[in-house]
Amino acid sequence: MRSLITTTCALMCIGSGALAVAADIPTHPADISFEELNFTPPSPSDFRNELSNGVPVFMASSDEFPLVTITLSFKGGAYMEPDGMAGLAAMTGAMIRTGGSSMMSPSDMDEEFDFMAANVSAGIGDRNANATINCLTSNLDDAFGLFMDMVQQPRFDSDRLEVLRGQQLEQIKTRDDDGLQIALREMNFLMWGEDFFEARQPTKSSLESISVDDMRAFHASIFNPANMMVSVTGDFDESTMLSFLEKSFQGWESGARSPEIPSPTHTFTPGVYYYEKDQPQVQVLIGHRGVQRDDPNAPAVEVMNDILGGSGFTSRITNSVRTREGLAYTAGSVMRSRVEYPGMFMSYFFTKVPTTALATRLVFDEIDTIQNEAATTDEVETIQNNIIETFPRTFESKGATMGLFMSDERTNRPAGYWENYRERVRSVNSQDVQQAANDYLHPEDAVILIVGPWEEIKKGNSESEADEARIATMEEFFGGKATQIPTRDPETLKPVESQD
Amino acid sequence: MRALRKAAISVAAILMIPASTSIAQNVQPIEYTLDNGMKFLLMPRDEQPNVITAGWIANVGSVNERPGITGVSHFLEHLLFKGTDTVGTSDAEQDQVFRDQLTAVRKNMRAYTLDVQYQRMYRGEIENPWDPANDTDELREMRSEMTRLQDEQSQITIKNEFDSLYTGNGGSGMNAGTSQDFTVFYINVPSNKLELWAWMESDRLISPSLRELDAERFVVIEERRQRLEATATGKLGEQFDSMFWVASPYNWPVIGWMSDLMSYTEGDIREYFETYYQPANLTGVIVGDFDPADAKQLVESYFGRIPNRRPKAAPLATYSVPLLGEIRFSGECDCQNQVEVRYRSVPFGHPDEAVFDVMADLLNGRTGRLYKSLVEDQGIATGANASNRAQHYAGSFSFSARPKGNVELAELEAAWYEQLELLKTELVSDRELQKVKNGQAADTFRGLQDNSSLFFQISITEAYGGYEYLNEHPTRIAAVTAEDIMRVANEYFSADARAVASYTRRGGAEEVLLTIDDVRDSLPEDMVEMVVPQLEMQITALASETDASGLQAQLDEMEAQQGMVPPQFQTAMKFVKQQIEKRISEIESGSDSAEQGGDE
Repeated sequence: MRSLITTTCALMCIGSGALAVAADIPTHPADISFEELNFTPPSPSDFRNELSNGVPVFMASSDEFPLVTITLSFKGGAYMEPDGMAGLAAMTGAMIRTGGSSMMSPSDMDEEFDFMAANVSAGIGDRNANATINCLTSNLDDAFGLFMDMVQQPRFDSDRLEVLRGQQLEQIKTRDDDGLQIALREMNFLMWGEDFFEARQPTKSSLESISVDDMRAFHASIFNPANMMVSVTGDFDESTMLSFLEKSFQGWESGARSPEIPSPTHTFTPGVYYYEKDQPQVQVLIGHRGVQRDDPNAPAVEVMNDILGGSGFTSRITNSVRTREGLAYTAGSVMRSRVEYPGMFMSYFFTKVPTTALATRLVFDEIDTIQNEAATTDEVETIQNNIIETFPRTFESKGATMGLFMSDERTNRPAGYWENYRERVRSVNSQDVQQAANDYLHPEDAVILIVGPWEEIKKGNSESEADEARIATMEEFFGGKATQIPTRDPETLKPVESQD
Repeated sequence: MRALRKAAISVAAILMIPASTSIAQNVQPIEYTLDNGMKFLLMPRDEQPNVITAGWIANVGSVNERPGITGVSHFLEHLLFKGTDTVGTSDAEQDQVFRDQLTAVRKNMRAYTLDVQYQRMYRGEIENPWDPANDTDELREMRSEMTRLQDEQSQITIKNEFDSLYTGNGGSGMNAGTSQDFTVFYINVPSNKLELWAWMESDRLISPSLRELDAERFVVIEERRQRLEATATGKLGEQFDSMFWVASPYNWPVIGWMSDLMSYTEGDIREYFETYYQPANLTGVIVGDFDPADAKQLVESYFGRIPNRRPKAAPLATYSVPLLGEIRFSGECDCQNQVEVRYRSVPFGHPDEAVFDVMADLLNGRTGRLYKSLVEDQGIATGANASNRAQHYAGSFSFSARPKGNVELAELEAAWYEQLELLKTELVSDRELQKVKNGQAADTFRGLQDNSSLFFQISITEAYGGYEYLNEHPTRIAAVTAEDIMRVANEYFSADARAVASYTRRGGAEEVLLTIDDVRDSLPEDMVEMVVPQLEMQITALASETDASGLQAQLDEMEAQQGMVPPQFQTAMKFVKQQIEKRISEIESGSDSAEQGGDE
């Protein structure tokens, strides 16, 4: 913080012209001295309660606004979908919210929630399902009864189901309209296999085959107390809330726990793959398997990826592809971790057709550099400082914090993880970064996936670039070999026969 | 670095007191104006400890541009991340020399291109006058000189230092947005780093380097491709907007036309900066965990240094002229079929704005009129919604919908006009109106729960005329009556002052053949028994028809009458047309099994 003298001068000098004040201002931000930021991450045990049926409840109250939010979170998701029923999870989740309940028809239920200004949602994702209500505290008693009826006894109204099915069927027709959507879908297919839940996509026939009975069974297998955790934030009294929940959940039978999440069995073949689409800008994804969440090297891998492409403008890929060469607006890399198995590393950029090969080369150059040269101490420190200084934001909102605690408990995050997180990040050095780059980046075993007009992309910028030093073609990668992914019918995802 | 399109940032309302609670909310930031005219709004708040959202908003956007420099507001926003005289270079003095030399070369290249290359384009010799592949010898020489200078300058450039300084100090979410009316810069910083923010932001307002201009130009062009040219309806929507606004400067895209993007020089941009980024045209906003007394001192010493370099910019003279007829736009894209009907509404802060907002809410959501009618009851749409967008100088109100299955866009359009007729002729019920008001009231609280959402609400309303709006608008919403809604519907939504856009899937030629069952499903229940048997007889009779030209005449007549056919009969009509077309082609090919829907 600024010294008292500087401050006084600033106040007095302001009237006498700008220069006098400017003299007190450090010439570079490195010369500003900052107060220490004292922050201790909150501990889950301070917020955790347990109901008599064993359901954990994480609560944090605040009286800033007269609103309360209650989230019921359940283990279970799309990974439990039976064969041929891709889309069941998402449809069931949407129908829980829109299909009415035992007490009310769908439109009456919607009307009731809307009139009470209660925001209610329900959904089933890949791994977890949830139902949330946010309403004025004064309306909670009325709204929560209906909410619980919806969660426990959804009606799955058949008219609403047909509306939803119609929407989904229209939705899948648009699947090939957006190049990025194609790229992500095909990358997931290549990486995980088309039937693994991380990649699986609904089709016309899977959507058409889903019945109310399928949804009832799927709902019952997930939405029960054995799978449940609860979080409550907003304006409420904690002990009153606990007994309110206790009463509301009374008589709800526990049911079976959802199965564990499966690991992928698919192996992928490295190489260049392309999907034909006539468009002026090309989407490129370069990927392979990544890192597991609790891998002891995870902090070094995180720092490494942030230096490479994960920290916006400060990272190398963005710097090279976007800032220096002006080839893309969006360019970078992500290292996605998974609890049960290694996630996916992916570098991405979108560029005009002729510079696809050049930008790809730049990304491979950056990977090569980070594997073969130690990062500078400055670079490592900038990233470490960023991770450490932004750490409090992880716990910025009470809702996000309670959500994190639920997820940590469900996935058995090691105790003390957050308390020691900053130290682990701080201990990473340049050698660790280089080691992580060599152990976790495999450019020779990557998939390069390209969506765009291949014949032109292949030629690179050899015809359009004035500058010979920058010429690149797709011949440079994997010996010029490339595999075409057949264009798919957007509704069935089966290859369509060539039109010409 | 986004170009804010549509209502990217919605301004929620505040201070509605629902009947069930007695807690009043009021947004009262500490106001503070420096001697140079820069205003600050400070909003200390401890609900989210240790963090601050800070930024500033400039009263400048694409409305302040003119043909030739469209997109310059957004481009300048990009360049303001390129460092300052001191940040981003290891040798400020030498850097200035390079910048001056580059400016000179760039100016020559532009003059030459606008002259020689444009002439070549007009004569049809080349397609793109800016494409290096079309360079003449002179231009090639200038370009290589520019490349040489850029390469040399890059030896002393510290790439992205502006970003790294924030990143290494815990800044996050640094970004900016340009809209038609304003440009806003913001970041989240830890509470102990407010002085860093003041240093960085005041420095870029005093001496922005506008470095790496040419590379950034290509980044923005890629952004344009990503947002407009490679998206489903992007380029078409841009032209529809352009038609809709007629005289208003809202008629060009925020990101700019491609020709203009290629052409600006540092001089254009610097002049624009000096005109519109003067302290008197800026408001700083700080929200979060900080001490207001400390913040005032920082703000005064850092931002107080910024000089006003030019006289106050002239206010906008051109206002929008009313639409004098119906505008129709139709285009094909790789997109789901969709229709939009758009009207002029009112600018931000107009007394009728709240009425339009309530009207949009009546129509939207699962209990809104559009979903109930178009999606559920009639089953003709997969989605439909309405939106009111009140901007600084004018507003627009839109209806848009996507059809279900083979439903014609004309049918969706007709369904909207029916909804409109209801608004014009029947008073909204008390309960329906109360439901919308309850929702708005709760949303006022929801919109205040987060530092960054509070930051946007305060800064944008301030740019539009005053943050006090946040406290006034909810009162206006609460006062809207059923009569107001009827009056506004009649006053603003007229058939001869609307714009209609239809987007259809490219190559949608393989039209799906309708069956008699499709017709059955499309008719009102009580009509089925009357219409279907009659149709079946007609179809049977058609099979023995041999006069192709007579059938063609029938077809032409049907086309002419299409507009008069009520929406519930559109599918039936289309079915008949398809059957006639099929018969004509059978007759003409001399076979009874003519091919259908062949690809082109």
